[in-house]
Amino acid sequence: MSDFQSEADFERDLNLDELLKGIDKSRLVSALNVLLDTMVDIMDDTGASLIGDNDSKTVDKVPLHGELEPVGFLQTRTAVPPERLRAAADMMQLILRCNARYLLSSDIHLQTQRDDFEELQRRNVALQASEARYKNLSESLEIRVKEQVKTIEKAHLKLYRNEKQASVGRLAAGVAHEVNNPLGFIRSNVATAVSYLESFYEFNTLIDNGASSEELRKVWEGRELPLLLDDFKDLMNESLEGLDRIAKIVIALKGFSRIDQTETERADIDTIVRQICQVAESQWQQKAKLVLDLSSETPIQCQSAQLGQVVYGLLGNAVDAIEKTGIIRIRTSVRNGVVVLEVQDNGRGISETVLPHVFEPFFTTKEVGQGTGLGLTVCHDIVKEHGGTIDIVSQIGKGTRVTVNLPVQNAIQHSKES
Amino acid sequence: MAQYDESSQKLTIKLVYYGPALSGKTTNLMRLHDILTPDMKGELMIMETADDRTLFFDLLPLGFRAPSGLLIKFKVYTVPGQVIHDSTRKAVLSRADGVVFVADSQRTQSVNNGESFENLAANAARVGLDFQQLPLVVQFNKRDLPAILTEQEILERWEKAPWPVLFSSALTGEGIIETFKTLLTAVYLTCDRLYRLQSDHGLDCDSFIAQTLGGSLSSARG
Repeated sequence: MSDFQSEADFERDLNLDELLKGIDKSRLVSALNVLLDTMVDIMDDTGASLIGDNDSKTVDKVPLHGELEPVGFLQTRTAVPPERLRAAADMMQLILRCNARYLLSSDIHLQTQRDDFEELQRRNVALQASEARYKNLSESLEIRVKEQVKTIEKAHLKLYRNEKQASVGRLAAGVAHEVNNPLGFIRSNVATAVSYLESFYEFNTLIDNGASSEELRKVWEGRELPLLLDDFKDLMNESLEGLDRIAKIVIALKGFSRIDQTETERADIDTIVRQICQVAESQWQQKAKLVLDLSSETPIQCQSAQLGQVVYGLLGNAVDAIEKTGIIRIRTSVRNGVVVLEVQDNGRGISETVLPHVFEPFFTTKEVGQGTGLGLTVCHDIVKEHGGTIDIVSQIGKGTRVTVNLPVQNAIQHSKES
Repeated sequence: MAQYDESSQKLTIKLVYYGPALSGKTTNLMRLHDILTPDMKGELMIMETADDRTLFFDLLPLGFRAPSGLLIKFKVYTVPGQVIHDSTRKAVLSRADGVVFVADSQRTQSVNNGESFENLAANAARVGLDFQQLPLVVQFNKRDLPAILTEQEILERWEKAPWPVLFSSALTGEGIIETFKTLLTAVYLTCDRLYRLQSDHGLDCDSFIAQTLGGSLSSARG
């Protein structure tokens, strides 16, 4: 390889032997012999004979130049007029120069060809490597995309389920408030009633000690025991009412917490609405006046807990839409074998640009952390499972009305995630 | 890098005239061949195509002996300017000791000049030359033509560049020697550092230039 390289290096200094390459030496020397009328010899700069005889006698001698320095000598064996010898040397140099041009051209041609070829081979190797890389990549890409899609779907499903759980959590928080209220006055009533008992125990001691009926009557009236007795009764009755209220809430809560329920039951939407309004009272009572106009009275085959979630979700949205105070109307009716539920508020409304997206998963206009963007998606899915439809009409500044249509005759699908 | 042959006491220095097609590189060499009179001057070898475009390169050999007897030999090359001959340009530029970039002063040629200069920098990197250290002179040629950039415009454009900028008209020979001398000065510095021209061979910068240009010329133009 190194020999080849030096061979093709166009910059090397050419020696006389190389400069004579390809030239018919016998014809050259016989021409020179005739022109100079004597025998000529040609030596290179090291004294080696290239044409003619090294040992023969030399009479005249003239240098032959390469690029710059002498590369050899033209020698004659008999005397020759100097101008003729110089003319012959000049002619030889013209021949050598022509040959040098050819040699330089072929050398640089070879060199660039070889460099270009090596460059092409390098690029070819690089291209093959990158082709292999891309082939690999494209094969693994499909698998990786599928894996990613699976991961994202899993994450979505998890968030979706979390949203259902979270709504139950919010409901539970509301319920705690509802239960605490009656619990508070029941406790106070019972405590008061217990304190009344002290007076009756004292009276009982008098009886045990054999007090006269005169004495007993005096104490009975002096301690106002008849009044205490009446009040005692009132306290107990009030407490019973409170306990009934708690019992109702617990029943309602039991219904709506069964979100994993898969079996259907017969339930009417009016009862569901009433129960939800009862347990969620704390959510709206500060801001909104709730007007119920319930007249569906038709039981449908449904998953009541799921429908309760829909009512709860729509009610929550309506409350959120109201900035200070407002009115929320919930209407139910039956039209042409379809149970219609309407939840209407007079809140801020939804803009035209936002409206087409409200059922899309993870779409939310609420602050980060305030909403998951899944509330209406969950409602939509539940209604769809029940073979129904859900529609929203809204006007900015006027309010929003959500209409849910549920067919009375509907064999509910059991297919949804459970 | 210059080739130092100890056995034959010879230092071969390679200079390259680079630049866009038809900017006057070959004409530069022809003028040098006409004007210079060093002790040794070879014939100008021009390898051209039928339409006078350089095919492979042109070569002008020059030389003189330092006081120590060392033969200082110059091989002055041009590269082919046409874009398609890039492999040849790369081969000729390889191992260069100094470069003259011959730019065309005509306003219409600014883009070609820029592309060719970028090509010079790229090829220098490819053949392993340190472009920042390489002795380089920029020559704006064809000052005799109309519709050329003014000297002020050119100097402003090259203000931030570290290389000397000279003006020439190769056809008339104006500026050719000045360009060559400027390059020789830069080349001497690197050669002196590597081959101790001053201390080992008794050759200082002035006589290095004077002997390369040739006796009569250096005193006349010096």
